Amino acid sequence: MNFPGNLPGFSRFRGPVAAVALLAFGGSLSGCVMPPSDDPVALAAYKEANDPLEGFNRAIFGFNEGTDILLFRPAAEIYRGVVPNPIRNGIRNFLRNLRSPLTIANELLQADWDGAEVATKRFLINTTVGIGGVLDVAADHDLPYKAEDFGQTLAVWGVPEGPYLVLPLLGPSNFRDTTGIAAEAFGDPVNLWAANTDRDAIPIGRAVAGALDARASLIEPIDDMRRNSLDYYASLRSLYRQNRISEINDGQAGTSASPEFPEFPEFPEDDAPPVENPGGVSKSSTP
Amino acid sequence: MIRRRFLIACAALLAFAGTAALPSAGHADARSEAAAKFIQDLGARAIDVLVKPSLGREESMKRFRVLLNEGFDVPYISRFVLGANWRTATPQQQQEYGTLFERLIVQVYADRFSQYSGQNLDVNETLKITGHRPEGDSDAIVNSQIIRPDAPPVAVDWRVRQRGDTMKVIDVAVEGVSMSVTQRSEFSSVIQRGGGQIESLLQTLRQRVGTAG
Repeated sequence: MNFPGNLPGFSRFRGPVAAVALLAFGGSLSGCVMPPSDDPVALAAYKEANDPLEGFNRAIFGFNEGTDILLFRPAAEIYRGVVPNPIRNGIRNFLRNLRSPLTIANELLQADWDGAEVATKRFLINTTVGIGGVLDVAADHDLPYKAEDFGQTLAVWGVPEGPYLVLPLLGPSNFRDTTGIAAEAFGDPVNLWAANTDRDAIPIGRAVAGALDARASLIEPIDDMRRNSLDYYASLRSLYRQNRISEINDGQAGTSASPEFPEFPEFPEDDAPPVENPGGVSKSSTP
Repeated sequence: MIRRRFLIACAALLAFAGTAALPSAGHADARSEAAAKFIQDLGARAIDVLVKPSLGREESMKRFRVLLNEGFDVPYISRFVLGANWRTATPQQQQEYGTLFERLIVQVYADRFSQYSGQNLDVNETLKITGHRPEGDSDAIVNSQIIRPDAPPVAVDWRVRQRGDTMKVIDVAVEGVSMSVTQRSEFSSVIQRGGGQIESLLQTLRQRVGTAG
């Protein structure tokens, strides 16, 4: 699957999106980082970070960190301590199964027919044999779970990711994924049904359970990153971007996603001759 | 007798046909095959040396440093992680950075391994090689899964570079996230926020890892 970026015509999406961004966050223009014009090293760093709203993002990030340390992390720890593992797995399976209609729709929108088939089979098997989705029976029969969302669909369509964005409470995102989250909030059939029948507790309970489940599975990795990072904000930003690229490519290493690992001129230090043309086949120089 | 000779001839033909039928990429396949074995061996060594015995912090750091330099091209990784900032650093800064970087890696990963200290793990049940492929002219990507009890497995891809007869890991990607790229992005941010000065990164590293040892 091609990673977008070069499709002509899609750059026009940037305009309106950026306009919305400016409207929404225009108050904090002082938090806007302008691209450095003279220093090529600084310019490369600016482009790789993809974070012109860094000042604003870091402020939200600080708020999220406080909320996480005071509320989410302790809640996740209690959840993990009180609820036994099999029940937590059941809750995770149930929540994933509840998302199946969205997953299938996104696979179809991405024209990933195999993925749609797997997601549909999973939905049918787990809803019936898996007792309403509590048991992931399908995963034991070579139908593994795969996360799909509308942000990934937009990426497959060629919509650029837009600047990095830290959302209040939800954490790392970008303009494209934020659009995806908003679209899914309106398009989810379960939530729509709940809203139309005045069952507000359902989407709220679902969101809380989802947040607890996600946070509980990340207690150690996040502790580790917080402890070992020199700049946790920057680590998380890079991690989010790479992880999204990997998800968009469905775990297959995309050509534009895999970073370049050049051979630096000062390597190899031991002057070992590089392995060149190993098969001894002469390179043809066709004109 | 004739029957036996016929069988031998058939076997020889089959063997020959087997090799002839292989694509000419056999050389690259051999490289990634060797890389997969290299990773498997490295995992086995790590479990034997670092995980199985119960070690104090000093000893586990010492052992990890030896293993790290055996299996990983630390000078290459440290150079990659500094990115374009490498060229603006003075030779003295480059050297100090190299020392500090190695120390940071040793401290961070020795701590991570210490969580598993004293466990009797079996490499074949902990590290499963799931695939390998040649990448570029001299690299191989080895795909693996780290199996954990009571938790989903973690996909870890190892990028192994071959120079002459030696193989060294130059990057590790966990669930599609390259450790080198993440670290590069982080260091770059520290430098940018320090006014574009390498010194600000060195300062942060010195504070983190200490100047001794």
